[in-house]
Amino acid sequence: MIKVMRRLCRILLLLAAVPLLHGCWDNKDINHRSLPLVMGIAKQQDKYRIYLQIPSSDPQNPQMKVVAESGRTVTEAVDRISMNMESQVDLLHLKVILVEKHFAQEGMADIIEGFIRARDISPKAKLVICNESLERFFENMKTAIAGNQTILCDFFDKNAGWNPSIAQTHIWETFRSIHSYTRDVIAPIIQTGKDTIIENVGSAIIKNGKMVDRINPNETLLYYAFKGASTQGKIEVLDHASVLIVNNTVSHHGKIVNSKPLLRSTIRLKVSVLETRGDPTMASIRQELEEIEAKRFAKLFKKMQLKEADILGVGQYFRTDLSRSELSHWRSVYLPKAELQLTIKAIIQNNGNLKTTGM
Amino acid sequence: MPLLHELKLRFASDDDIFFQPDHILHIPVVFIGLTSLLDLIQTKERLTKDAFAKQGLAADDAGLLRQLGESIDTGDLRSAVTSLLSGKMIVFHKPSETFIAVEAASKPLTRSVEEPSDESVIHGPRSAFNEDIDTNLGMVKRQLNSDKLAVKSYAVGANSRTRINLLYLENQVEPALLTAIIGRFESNKELDVCNLQQLSRMLGLPSWAAISPYIRTELPQDTVHYLMRGKAVLLLDRFPCALVLPNDLWSMLAVQNDLNYPRLFTLSFRLLRLAGVLCHILAPGLYVAVVSVNPEILRIEMALTVAQSRLGVPYPALVETLILLFVLEMVMEASVRLPKSIGPTITMVGGIILGQAVVSAKLVSNLLIIILAAATIANFTISGFVNSISIRLFKYVILLLAAFYGILGLLSGMVLVCAYVSSVTTFGIPYAQLARKSRG
Repeated sequence: MIKVMRRLCRILLLLAAVPLLHGCWDNKDINHRSLPLVMGIAKQQDKYRIYLQIPSSDPQNPQMKVVAESGRTVTEAVDRISMNMESQVDLLHLKVILVEKHFAQEGMADIIEGFIRARDISPKAKLVICNESLERFFENMKTAIAGNQTILCDFFDKNAGWNPSIAQTHIWETFRSIHSYTRDVIAPIIQTGKDTIIENVGSAIIKNGKMVDRINPNETLLYYAFKGASTQGKIEVLDHASVLIVNNTVSHHGKIVNSKPLLRSTIRLKVSVLETRGDPTMASIRQELEEIEAKRFAKLFKKMQLKEADILGVGQYFRTDLSRSELSHWRSVYLPKAELQLTIKAIIQNNGNLKTTGM
Repeated sequence: MPLLHELKLRFASDDDIFFQPDHILHIPVVFIGLTSLLDLIQTKERLTKDAFAKQGLAADDAGLLRQLGESIDTGDLRSAVTSLLSGKMIVFHKPSETFIAVEAASKPLTRSVEEPSDESVIHGPRSAFNEDIDTNLGMVKRQLNSDKLAVKSYAVGANSRTRINLLYLENQVEPALLTAIIGRFESNKELDVCNLQQLSRMLGLPSWAAISPYIRTELPQDTVHYLMRGKAVLLLDRFPCALVLPNDLWSMLAVQNDLNYPRLFTLSFRLLRLAGVLCHILAPGLYVAVVSVNPEILRIEMALTVAQSRLGVPYPALVETLILLFVLEMVMEASVRLPKSIGPTITMVGGIILGQAVVSAKLVSNLLIIILAAATIANFTISGFVNSISIRLFKYVILLLAAFYGILGLLSGMVLVCAYVSSVTTFGIPYAQLARKSRG
């Protein structure tokens, strides 16, 4: 019995040490945390202005809360917000990082690195450029939405509002592009719309964390076609028809010819006809589709070469052919003289519920 | 007549005993027995018939009486007392100073074979063990028609003698297990066995283990199955369960009656029980971990809903969970204890208190009610009440760790529980051993 008591005492002593040793007495319950979904970042002189959109968990008052604060660093501004709020700001749920256009053009490599370094911001948050001043954007948002608090996240969510005409870039991809010789990214540009709450106005080409140019939504769709992810995208074929991409496969093959990079790419699109105007044959729709895509692609590629920003990641296919020091000049030396031999093969998989003659 | 006198002295404080002068045929005798254990009239009738049939076989009266039962030496008080206590009657023939213990018609002190009360069976054999050890043994033998079934009988205890039967299949049982059990029985014969803790002490099993060393079953069907899997079965007198040694993890998930269904259903029943075990162990911990330590793993919509449901709840998640778990455990314990007629009342009161009032009083969040209700229901999918108690206990370890370390704590809690479960052995046979080398 004494042995048992002694053992029991020992166990109790050990258990008593647990609350002291676990080091987590500052755990806060979920209802005492604010979970901002969107962080807006603008730069005013040399200070950051940070906006946080915090959904309210009060069912009686489902108003979206937007709080703003300035600071020399992002953390300082967030800290100030946290200080003035009734609950602790927890950035773990941050889904979208909205950057004002001017700041994006100035270059945002610093904050991207900061986000990756900080443990509490998910690298999976999406980078979005805002075409207007954030003050106005959030003001418009606030008046526009009452119930739906996750609208900005839904807009970019693959399972909700996203389609391949909207670019989608995560923080970690942007960070990777800053440190990679052969890859740049695009980020969506949005503004408040007239009828819808948000409007997609194209994508920004981001090179080394700096916005250098923009492309339109059609070109964004091409970008995803080149990546093999344009399924569900819709293409207008001249004046004759519009088609829906139902399947998209790609193959790329790169080699250096006369110290000039040559990339042979084949994009296979399986499409389904949605609408026709007049009475075009299937063959003509297919031919026009292939031509128009090739033309748009050539234009996109030219733009890329001009800005020396490799958003398609063409350089990836030459990493084995070039040395490390040669690769470091990929953007400035090799990309401008690169040649792309693109074949687009379209297959009209079906023409909907109606029969069209002249396959 | 020293023995008669000694018996009178021995039972001086027990008015239950009778010394009744009477005759068998023409022989004058004294019947000695315990009124509460035997039916005197029937016994007398039987004895007379028996004596009449054997009349010609013996030369004298004493010889005839000896034919009726076992004679007891005049000096052997101990065996006389044992005979009386086990329900036999002693016939005393004064002229020859002979004491004879005869089998008596016993009073019906045992209920008849009934349906199991703690283990329901759907569409399967329905008779369950009762308190009478001989009935139980008979039921096992009925179920298992084999000449390999060995039965060893022991009577243990210094103050109160308890009959214990040890059953095993000769060609299946683990020899080491058998020698260990028999050895313990032989060396600890003097220990009283009135409950299972005492039995554990007698068998030298750890008394603080969180997992019971026995599987308890009241179904002969299950008992036979365990026998065929090489386990040893103990039947205790006055104990309506068979105790199967050693326990194993599989008994938590498998019920014998599963095998009376098509394979697919058997498999899905067992998977369901596994899911039940995991749900019961993990659900409360997961709630606490997700709500107070790692809210980032929730989808944002879910996070908002959870935050909404906790709005205005005064306690941290751990305290909230512990309070409600405490109430739930009390309801469970109370409904075991309550008479069947009041049972539904407590269910209703418990349901209203837990389901409605606690939430509208904002003492706990309604999400927690759902989670704990699911976990409690999951607990009852586990086969065997004793197994479900072990799981109920493990839940708290995981809950505490989850409250401190979140998801990481949940995981390390699982590792801890798995490590403990793997460390448990009974007579050298691991609890977590699922497959056994087949013998013969």
